[in-house]
Amino acid sequence: MIKFDYQEPTTLKKALALLDKHGDHARAIAGGTSLLIMMRQRLLLPKVVVSLARIPKFDRITFDAKKGLRIGAGARHRGVELSPVIKQYYPLLHETFHKVAQPRIRNMGTIGGNLACGDPLTDPGASLIALDAEVVLTSSRGQRTLRLDEFFIDYYQTALETGELITEIHVPPATRPRWAHIKFTPRSVEDFATVGIALTLEAKDGSCEDVRLALNSVASTIVRAKQAEEVLRGKPITDATIREMGEIAAAEVDPMDDNRGSADYKRDLVKVLVRRAVQEAMQRTG
Amino acid sequence: MKHTIRVTINGRLYEEDVEPRQLLAHFIRENIGLTGTHVGCVVGECGACSILLDGQVVKSCLHLAVQADGREVTTIEGLAKDGELAPIQDAFVKNYALQCGYCTPGMVMTSYALLKTNPNPSEEQIRKALAGNLCMCTGYVQIVDAVKEAARGSKNG
Repeated sequence: MIKFDYQEPTTLKKALALLDKHGDHARAIAGGTSLLIMMRQRLLLPKVVVSLARIPKFDRITFDAKKGLRIGAGARHRGVELSPVIKQYYPLLHETFHKVAQPRIRNMGTIGGNLACGDPLTDPGASLIALDAEVVLTSSRGQRTLRLDEFFIDYYQTALETGELITEIHVPPATRPRWAHIKFTPRSVEDFATVGIALTLEAKDGSCEDVRLALNSVASTIVRAKQAEEVLRGKPITDATIREMGEIAAAEVDPMDDNRGSADYKRDLVKVLVRRAVQEAMQRTG
Repeated sequence: MKHTIRVTINGRLYEEDVEPRQLLAHFIRENIGLTGTHVGCVVGECGACSILLDGQVVKSCLHLAVQADGREVTTIEGLAKDGELAPIQDAFVKNYALQCGYCTPGMVMTSYALLKTNPNPSEEQIRKALAGNLCMCTGYVQIVDAVKEAARGSKNG
């Protein structure tokens, strides 16, 4: 392991000041499940590691029927998975976080750390995008809020600037009650998805009023498939329209060959799994 | 620069100076001398280094020793009480749930944590909980049997 200094500030303000002071030489550590691996592999070489563990209430989860859900960036995957309000009002998030890796990683990794890492293979981002989530980004200079579907830029690259931290994830009240989450894994349950699909849908009299579709593991970022959404939005939900939606989604993504499958295989999976996701969402009463 | 940390391990408080880059797994083995926690892949894949941190199962190779300051660790050595094996350890022995034994401490710690939160798991829940623990001898069937037996035992008393 590389050498570095370790700091454990006790307030958010102090943490931001440290990140500001050390600039690109500093890295924040939350759960550490991604960061420590990258440091061991010499992909990241921080001189200062700033722990967020002692920041008060950084893992707080609150819900308000009008304003929606606020998840502190330090909330662990396990905390999101087991949160009673999330289970009740955002079953898609409950289901998704239940599928992240396995319990040991869920006991360690945090939602903020996961998003900040910008890894396109991980599960949380797609479901959060399907729920119109926003991230609150804070630095010593101020605060801004960004839609999550505009946050991911490229492989391991996000809109986070030097000295900036994700401090909160905001999920508005769920307006599309139907949902589906499909994590296709070829080997074992704790693996990354070959293809991950998150869908939220509002339907009336068999027609799609509104829809969000986001996918992981099929491009250099977690992606929202806007063209595929357009195929279904405002149209009757039939075998033909959902088939077309799957085909458009498959054209919209840009998967890579890897040990979880070839790019062609993943595109075929997208076609099939998008269709199944809509069918699954329609079987849920909401 | 070294940091002084205070960690409770298996009920005993230790105060040690550590470098920030030292992993918790190495701290437990090298500074404290508890070598039951095994180090396998050191990248969070194999599960051999699983321990309990504040009662929750984690991988000690993905954790810095400095991050454990003020927290409570339980390792495989902390399960037996007064020379009596914990029921999950007993069940591993009775079911021949180990061959070379390298993965065993991690398997036992993960199973122990599962049974603590879910005393009556289904086979699928057992398999899912153990999914991140690799056994290179591939003796998974007996391991699942052992967890089932330990669960039955806990129900009987």
